[in-house]
This record gives sequence, structure tokens and C-alpha cells, in this order.
Amino acid sequence: MKTSIKIENLSKSFNGKKILKEINLELPKYGIFGILGKNGAGKTTLLATLMGLITPTSGEIKIFDKSLKKNKFEILNQINFQSPYIELPKKMSVYQNLIFYARLYNVKDREEVIKDLCSELLVSDLLNLNYGKLSSGQKTRVNLCKALLNRPKLLLLDEPTASLDIQTSDFIRKYLVKFQKNYKSAILITSHNLEEIKYMCDYLIILEDGKVKDFDTITNLLKKGKKSKIEELLLND
Amino acid sequence: MINRIIALLIRYQNIALGSIPRLTSIFYWPTVQILFWGFFTNYFYQINEFNIWSSLNVILSAVVLWDVLFRSQLGLSMSFFEELWSRNLPNLFITPIKDYEIIIGLLMISLLRTILGLTPAIFFANYFFNFHLFELGLYLIFFFFNLTLIGWSIGLFVSALVLRYGQSFEELAWAIIFIVLPFSCVYYPLSSLPEVMQTFSSIFPTTMIFEEMRSLIFNSHMNHINLIKIFFINIFLLLMSSLFFLYMLRVVRNKGIMINQGE
Repeated sequence: MKTSIKIENLSKSFNGKKILKEINLELPKYGIFGILGKNGAGKTTLLATLMGLITPTSGEIKIFDKSLKKNKFEILNQINFQSPYIELPKKMSVYQNLIFYARLYNVKDREEVIKDLCSELLVSDLLNLNYGKLSSGQKTRVNLCKALLNRPKLLLLDEPTASLDIQTSDFIRKYLVKFQKNYKSAILITSHNLEEIKYMCDYLIILEDGKVKDFDTITNLLKKGKKSKIEELLLND
Repeated sequence: MINRIIALLIRYQNIALGSIPRLTSIFYWPTVQILFWGFFTNYFYQINEFNIWSSLNVILSAVVLWDVLFRSQLGLSMSFFEELWSRNLPNLFITPIKDYEIIIGLLMISLLRTILGLTPAIFFANYFFNFHLFELGLYLIFFFFNLTLIGWSIGLFVSALVLRYGQSFEELAWAIIFIVLPFSCVYYPLSSLPEVMQTFSSIFPTTMIFEEMRSLIFNSHMNHINLIKIFFINIFLLLMSSLFFLYMLRVVRNKGIMINQGE
């Protein structure tokens, strides 16, 4: 495997309006990649397209060197996603939700995997509670358990710490960095929290008006733009 | 494939039967319906003179069989709506589950909910009114299967519309069956309708089923050509509604609707 994600001339239009415009991108096999951009830049659309939730208007996506269009189900088995805006069924317990997704991903030793993940993410005592009764911090940690059940080689995160308190956010960031190192995975993350991006990401993708404005390591981007802070990369000259 | 369908079944079963109020709601309405119509028919007999047993059998058979259709449609739609209500659809569609596996899972859970919902109603009908649904014999399986096919078809059609056009279409899940009801000749023969409506109603597979049911109870006779016709119409309906559901999934992916359902 040479790349985790390879995107060629990817475009997506909704009702004639181009949201993604001829995106070309090649991400290394491992690492944490941050996507930065203003609201409406196309961050969530890009993530959803990478997961097959949105069909591109044109262009090609390759994940682990395989065409997403032709090998969708094989690829989906190796990726996962977490977003605070997408929840799990509220009427089911945390355990019932996790075991359901473990079955869908055909996880071996699922009981053991769930037990370990819940212990690492400090949600073991929530297993028998209904998901609907959890606080947002607890939900985020449970959602993360769901997203890590299949030990994804590619993990997509949409603002993973949005609306969380400082302690929970910090815990999640540290956990994800450790996970990436241990499992040598690729993590693609969108966030408006620049501190988070700075702490977690090796590379940055700057999206502007549906196009990739720049992609490089944070240090190189700052050097190239002669900037001292990440936020300056987002501001127009 | 089997693992993923079993996972879906366990999950829908957890949602539907996970608490006493939810479990009660599954068999509450069929039981109330059967008691209401049973007592009503008994009363009707007291003030009129007609063959009580045939009439009671026709009405109670119609109540139970109509509920087969209603429960199978509602069981399917409600299970699918649970995904929308819990803002979980994107999580489901990024797993390796295939679209047709979701359809199979929904059909199976609908069948389970229908059987569960109707069992107490049939028991009460037997206890209070000495009504034996199983006297319909093997034809009962035919009626049950075909009405379930119609219920599934309507359920898939409604779910596809809600998926595409949003939760404002949810009302249709409750209402659509009552739009079909007057034309289906559930409790009265086709001949009792005005002539203009008779031609229109006769194209409904539900009308054909209930006409055959009455013919079986009153005359112990059924038209087997009609049964074959009913079967193929219903298979065609289920095929069309499944294709419509799959088509709407494609539309939803093209329009980027699925990801926004979480927000």
C-alpha cells in the first residue's frame, strides 16, 4: 500500500452548485491529517464522499490503492467514522449498540474488543445504560468506541471534540494520537479548533471554496506562507 | 451476509421489544380491534336476524387479516424510521452492509412484529368468540403471506419517500393504509360498492384477497386462477417497491441528503 487516500479530479455539485472542485490529493499511508477550511469550504462533503455517503459528480477516489467505487464494501470494512452530529439509537443500551456494529464489521472476539475499548475510553460503567441517557461527553466516547471497533486503517473524524469540556477533549485527543501510533493508521480530521489541529496533526489540508488550497506538514505550510500561527493560514491576505 | 442480517434483526428486536411499553404497543391495537369487532358483531346479532357464525367469522377473519397487512407495513416503516429518529443512518451506511441486506432485515423484523402482535389477538378471539382462524386451513397461509407482501411493499414505498423527502412524509406511514382501506372491500363485498367504484376497487390485490376470503367462508370455494393472479401481482409489487427503495438510496447519495440527516 502506497497511499491511504488518493483523490483524482474529484468534483461534487448539488443543484448545479459546485461544492468540491477538481480536488487532487494524495495522503501518505500513515499519519494524522487535518482538514481546515471556513464553513461551506466542503470539509464534511469531502469526508462523506470518502465514505460513500455521497456519490461524486466526477473524479476518482482510491483508498488503500483500491477504487472506492469498485471495492466499496471491502474498503468500508477497513474504515470508520465519528461525528458528534451523528448518534446511535437512543433506545438501545451502549452494549447493544456496540455489539451490533461489531457484528456488522464482523469483528473477531467482539466481546473482548468491546471490553478493552470501553476500558480504555472509560465507558465500562456505561455499558448497560441506554445511549439516550448519556451526556454529550459520554456519547462522544461511546461513539469513538464504535468508530474503533474494527481497528480502522482509516479513521474519519468530523469535529470529534465539538461542544466537549476541556478535560474530555484533551483525553480524546491524546487517545487518538496514541491509537494512530499503535495501529499505524491514517486519521483524517476536520476541526475548527486550531489548538486541536496543532496538537494532533502531522499534515494539513487547507480547503478553500471547494478546492485544495494547500497540503503539507504544518511546519512547511507556515514556512511557505511566512506565517507564525495556523489561524493566519486561513485568513485571506 | 447472514451475520449482518442477524445483527439487524437482533438490533430491531432490541429496539421494538426492549421495554414493556414498546412491547405492549405491538400487540395492544390488534387485540383492541378484535375485541371491539367481536362484541360489536355479537350485539348486531342480538338486534337482527342473520347467520351469526358466518358473519362473525367473516368479520373477525377480515379484522385479523387486515391487521396482518397493517402490522407488516407499520413494522417495516417504524423499524426504518428508528434509524432516522436516532440520527444513525450515516453510521449504518458506512458499514459494509449492503442495501439489499437492509431491505431483507426490515422484511424479517416486520414479519416477526406481525406474528407477535397478532398472537394475543387470535387468542382472545378464540377465547371470547369461539373464533378459529385456523379453520381457513392452508388458505390462511396464502392470505397471510400475500397480505404481508402488500404490507412490505407499502412499507418500503413509504420508507423510501421519507428517506428522500424527510420526516414530513412520516404521517403517510399511518395514513396510507386507511386510504387503501375503503377500496379494499375488507368488511363488505365488492358488489356493495357503487358501480363506478367497483371497477377501480377490483384492481386492488387486497380486494381480490378479501373477496376470496368471503367466498371461502360462505361457499367453501375459492377461485384458484385468482389466487395465482394475486400472488404474481404481489410479488411484482414487492419487486417494484424494493427497486424504488434502492433507487431512492441512490438519489439520496447523489444529493448528499444522508449526511445532513444527522444534523
